Amino acid sequence: MMKVKEIKSFKMNNFPIRYKLIILLLLISIFPSVGLGFLTGWTVDRIIERQVTQNTLQLIGQVNKTLEFYFSNIQNAGYLISFNPELKKFLYEKKGELDFSKDDHYNIRKFLQGFTNLYPEVAGILVINSNGQYISNEMYARSSKNLTEETWYKEAVKNEGIFKIIGHPVNRNVTSHVHYKDNEVVSVVRAILDPDTQEVKGVILIDLKLRVVAEATKDARLGKTGYLMVIDDYGENIYSPTKPFIDEIPNHWLENSDSGAFSKRINGSKLQFIYRKSSFTGWTTVGVFSTEESATEVKEIHFYVIIFVFLVCLLGITASYYLAYSMSRPIGQLMSFMQKAESGDLGIRYEGERKDEIGMLGRSFNKMLTQINKLIVLTELQEHQKREAELRSLQAHIKPHFLYNTLDTIHWMARKKGAEDVAELVESLSRLFRIGLSKGNDIIPFMEEMEHIRSYLNIQKARYKDKLNYTLNLSSDVRDVNVLKLVLQPIVENAIYHGIKERRGPGHILIESEEKKGYLVIRVTDDGAGIPAEILDMLKRKLKNAFDTEENNAEAKNLGYGMMNVQARIKLTFGDDYGLTIDSEKGKGTMVTILLPIMREKSKSMET
Amino acid sequence: MKKLLLIHGIFLSIFLLYLYDYHFRESSSSPLSQEEEGLRGEISEKYVMVTFQAGIDYWKMPLKGFEDAAHALNVSVEYRGAAQYDVHEQITVLEQVIAKKPAGIAISAINPDKLTPTINKAIDAGIPVILFDADAPSSRGDAFVGTNNYNAGLTAAHKMADLLGSKGKVAIVTLPNQLNHQERTKGFLETITKEYPEMEIVAIKDGKGDQLFSRQMVVDILREHPDLAGIFATESNGGVGIANAVQSVKTHKKIKIISFDTDKRTLDMVKEGTISATLAQGTWKMGYWSLQFLFHLNHKLNPSSEEGVSDATLLPPYMDTGITVVTKENVENYYAK
Repeated sequence: MMKVKEIKSFKMNNFPIRYKLIILLLLISIFPSVGLGFLTGWTVDRIIERQVTQNTLQLIGQVNKTLEFYFSNIQNAGYLISFNPELKKFLYEKKGELDFSKDDHYNIRKFLQGFTNLYPEVAGILVINSNGQYISNEMYARSSKNLTEETWYKEAVKNEGIFKIIGHPVNRNVTSHVHYKDNEVVSVVRAILDPDTQEVKGVILIDLKLRVVAEATKDARLGKTGYLMVIDDYGENIYSPTKPFIDEIPNHWLENSDSGAFSKRINGSKLQFIYRKSSFTGWTTVGVFSTEESATEVKEIHFYVIIFVFLVCLLGITASYYLAYSMSRPIGQLMSFMQKAESGDLGIRYEGERKDEIGMLGRSFNKMLTQINKLIVLTELQEHQKREAELRSLQAHIKPHFLYNTLDTIHWMARKKGAEDVAELVESLSRLFRIGLSKGNDIIPFMEEMEHIRSYLNIQKARYKDKLNYTLNLSSDVRDVNVLKLVLQPIVENAIYHGIKERRGPGHILIESEEKKGYLVIRVTDDGAGIPAEILDMLKRKLKNAFDTEENNAEAKNLGYGMMNVQARIKLTFGDDYGLTIDSEKGKGTMVTILLPIMREKSKSMET
Repeated sequence: MKKLLLIHGIFLSIFLLYLYDYHFRESSSSPLSQEEEGLRGEISEKYVMVTFQAGIDYWKMPLKGFEDAAHALNVSVEYRGAAQYDVHEQITVLEQVIAKKPAGIAISAINPDKLTPTINKAIDAGIPVILFDADAPSSRGDAFVGTNNYNAGLTAAHKMADLLGSKGKVAIVTLPNQLNHQERTKGFLETITKEYPEMEIVAIKDGKGDQLFSRQMVVDILREHPDLAGIFATESNGGVGIANAVQSVKTHKKIKIISFDTDKRTLDMVKEGTISATLAQGTWKMGYWSLQFLFHLNHKLNPSSEEGVSDATLLPPYMDTGITVVTKENVENYYAK
């Protein structure tokens, strides 16, 4: 676990700061809005669903109330009819008795007509007594069969004077003169009881036009395609529209509760059912609508939410991109400045007027660079001063004048004692030192350099006697030039030790100088032992890369150390155009050529 | 920058895809669509039928037609009417109906003239008015749907002549204030006098549309003209009353009665032979076509107006719903099935 975490954090740290910023901004801008969008959509979904259910229930309640109103009217009518004295006479009539006149019949008809006048929604009223005789304006029996055998009559008897809605009449032996079909009416029956004996005296049958129910239910539309339907106790349709989603609602779906909601998948589309039962009519009004339809409104809200989220994403991405860019760019700039400074360009400076942390960092960076530059200058100065101090202390130790004076004293003492050769040698040594030190100046007149080499050769001559011969051959046009001091001595020293000394018999060293093509050319030629080819090659190679320390192994180090030193000094002082070249042949001798610039200003070096 | 454009591009294309999908789903109609072809109204449109003597059986057939048309057109209907045979009551009822601003009114005028101002008032209020069964010709009602009553009278006269062998005394029991009855009477009267010189109209009486009143009227006529051979009743309640009167007096049992309309009692009497013949009106058609006419007027369904014929009226000003003579032979067809 820890490892995984480490790897993760490690990877996170490796991301460029810009990506981190983008991710951060996206996180704080887009994710909340997307979350908000989804939350809104979800809430709206639920609220709308609840609202729809509530509204539908309310609507159903109103429809139920309307239906109840009609049926209570019909109920009232039923009671009213039973109070009519002539009708009572008709009901209490015994079979075969004839005190019931035609006028009474007429009056009852007239009375019943009044009801259809008052309630146009009544399709027909029929009153029947227990003998099977009936009175009606609209209805009559299809056949002579006794109507008391009919199911509706029995139903009324069973309910003992209580108002009963039977629903659509089925296979009734009663027909209506006005051609109302069975499915166009709803039958209501009520038995009339003798208050004393509780005996059924007759039944009132009232047909209510389904149109009233249909109008009340059709009036309440649920959305574009939803509708209400009415079913009775037995689950039979009292009213359903001409093109229903579902033909019949099984009774068990309603689960014996008075109101509720459920959804079912029918013919591939999801339907929502909301129902409420009216306790008065015993009918259940069911609202049926497609959930897809209620979803269209939800969809519309979703649509706007998605547009919002999309816009936020678009804006968020653009904004976070540019913000991250603007935040990370100065850091990147600063980084590139630092990289330049790192690679040695200490003169670079951060330029910017920003007042924020980046600007502060930049300014600190600038200060730091200034500080570093100062330190470098300081260090250089200190180094210089230190060297100078060392030189001074050296000079203080040796005190060149003391040395010269001592040598001079030796010179004169030798003269006095007649030791001319000693005097000369001491004089040469004195000169050698004087020029060698030359007050610390690096550049000296060429003549002085020649004087120096002459003194050196004089001293060597005193040692090697006749074995060493030399010639200094200077062309007159180079007498007034200045040269780097002590370039000749190491070459001549080599010529003596490796050339003349190694040869049999006396040797000769020739030093010549001339101006050639703007160069001062000095040649040191000896007729000594020469250099073996392989060593010569090595030498040549070393001269080419005088600074290359790679080949500075122990063997090569000894090889021409003095020469290498001269080469390095020339190249450092004058550049790569100048320097030494060497040529030699075993047994014949060696020639070293020195190329130097012509420096004629006698100014400082000459005077000092 | 390129990356950003790419991301934007991807986002936009996803969004456009979504839009397309949304639009596509929106436009594709639901398979559960309840839309039906043809003429469909709103259930909130209420058409009112106004009659007089609203409870009588006669109106039940027109009302049935009215309701059937309403069911076909998906509109709602209401039935109103004067309870009595009373002009003022019908005017009051009509005023009340107009005040409710229904989508249309079908009215049977109790009196051809007295209702005219009220009918015109409805027209002025922008409510289409169709007269059915009984016209009010002087009103600006949009059309009349009903029986050609003159023809009905004429048919009755020929039938009467046929029954009586073109001779004898004949009486008429009618409702003299009502235009349809006036025309029936006129048609009957003119035909008899012109074409059957041996026949004579001895009495024209007001039966008030009531069974007992008509019965009394016939008893009076019979007292005056004991040799009466036939009676023409322009209305069914009268017919039943007449039949009862004729039945009660044994000597007059041979009097031929021609009644009007096909209510149960009339049909029963035709079957018994008490009433020789009755004239069946297209009462169902009256209600049905009244509502159809009103619907067309209310929805301004005037195809000719699209062709620029602005003065062309959509409806025929008069629609004859026809008349049939019902006798013992064909009476079974008129019973409810």
